[in-house]
Amino acid sequence: MSRSITLGQYLPGESLIHRLNPRMKILALLLFLILLFSLKTYGGLTALFFIALGMIAVAKVPFRYFLRGLKPILYIVVFALIIYLFFTKGGVVLLRIGFITVESEGVREGIFVIARLFTLILFSLLVTLTTTPLSLTYGMSYFLKPLRYFGLPTEEVAMIMAIALRFIPTLMEESQRLMRAQVARGADFETGSIFRKAKSLVPLIVPLFVSAFRRADELALAMEARGYRLGARRTRMYEDLIAPRDWAVLSFILVLFSAALAFGL
Amino acid sequence: MQKLTISALFTALIAVLAQVAVPLPFSPVPVTGQVVGVLLTGALLGSRAGFLTVVAYLLLGAAGAPVFSLGRGGIYMLTGPTGGYLWGFIPAVYFAGRIIEKVGQPSIYRTSAAMLTALSFIYLCGSLQLGLIMRYNLWQTMLTGVIPFVPLDLLKAALAAFLARQIKKSLQQNQLGHILK
Repeated sequence: MSRSITLGQYLPGESLIHRLNPRMKILALLLFLILLFSLKTYGGLTALFFIALGMIAVAKVPFRYFLRGLKPILYIVVFALIIYLFFTKGGVVLLRIGFITVESEGVREGIFVIARLFTLILFSLLVTLTTTPLSLTYGMSYFLKPLRYFGLPTEEVAMIMAIALRFIPTLMEESQRLMRAQVARGADFETGSIFRKAKSLVPLIVPLFVSAFRRADELALAMEARGYRLGARRTRMYEDLIAPRDWAVLSFILVLFSAALAFGL
Repeated sequence: MQKLTISALFTALIAVLAQVAVPLPFSPVPVTGQVVGVLLTGALLGSRAGFLTVVAYLLLGAAGAPVFSLGRGGIYMLTGPTGGYLWGFIPAVYFAGRIIEKVGQPSIYRTSAAMLTALSFIYLCGSLQLGLIMRYNLWQTMLTGVIPFVPLDLLKAALAAFLARQIKKSLQQNQLGHILK
């Protein structure tokens, strides 16, 4: 896990999609999602689905990574199918088992919702797979900047994220160490009712949190000793510039929007 | 300064607790220790530091770090049908923190009220997004996204309330109580 913590799900590549500015990618994702949810017809949805597939081809990301990303929503898809097939009525009766019927309106609605869900996941995964967590973080904190006027210190949040990434593996290890220590003292985490299991977590979580507090205390002292000041201006090693290709992507999306409006999709 | 480092450590703690997860066969949303971590954040850190912690946690997850339940991460977790349960952490922690930080030593009733407020915000945001993306009506949303999880979440809230008291007691014994102030 410690390796994947820093890399996330990023797949290195040199494609056009990889090289887009992370800020533009986040903006584009947002616009695509708005477009996706304003589409009302099958035609529009199919077009957008193929645009997503086209972009995946441009990014040269193997499709199996997308299939893996679709796995977590399998339950939701199955559930949605059941709900739409059996509970949405209207149109022609397609199937009758006793008093249960499947009607065409349910099939139509169900497939539309699931196709939309797939397209949503494809676009979101494409951004996740082609951008490093670090540059995505920078991109997102750029869009959070206006929130500074509402009292959200974006620089602090970025620092919190950086420190948290550093400490996740440490705390993971610590929790395993604590678990072994409690097992050696006769604790039992495996058997018993759900109440017993919840109770057995107490001697694990309390010391885990207390040690986190101790580490935080020491770390704050160490950072202060090295001259870190809250609210001081920081500079960055890499400048990120908006290139012409970024504007091209933005105008492509705007064309899609106007097409959707013009044809009433 | 300690507020900043403790927020960072709590972000990591939520991520560690989120790896304790039990998927349920009958519903799309797995039961996780994530919520226990989030509730503890609200109870121990208060509204401001808690808010920053949860925002940092969600951004880390959105950036692709596997910090969400079952080692998942990526923007699609937030934009997908179950994303609302994650967005809901922000108001949940904020308001739970507001309720608890008003008094020095919150009573068990106040703590429970804070936990229940937090849970209702998580459910509100979660079912809203689930319902909108899947185009469910109110009843279908309740059936898939709310009712199956209420008993377990109440248990988690009770566990978090109890843990919060124990942790505070233990911090005082270890002379670390000053960080909470």
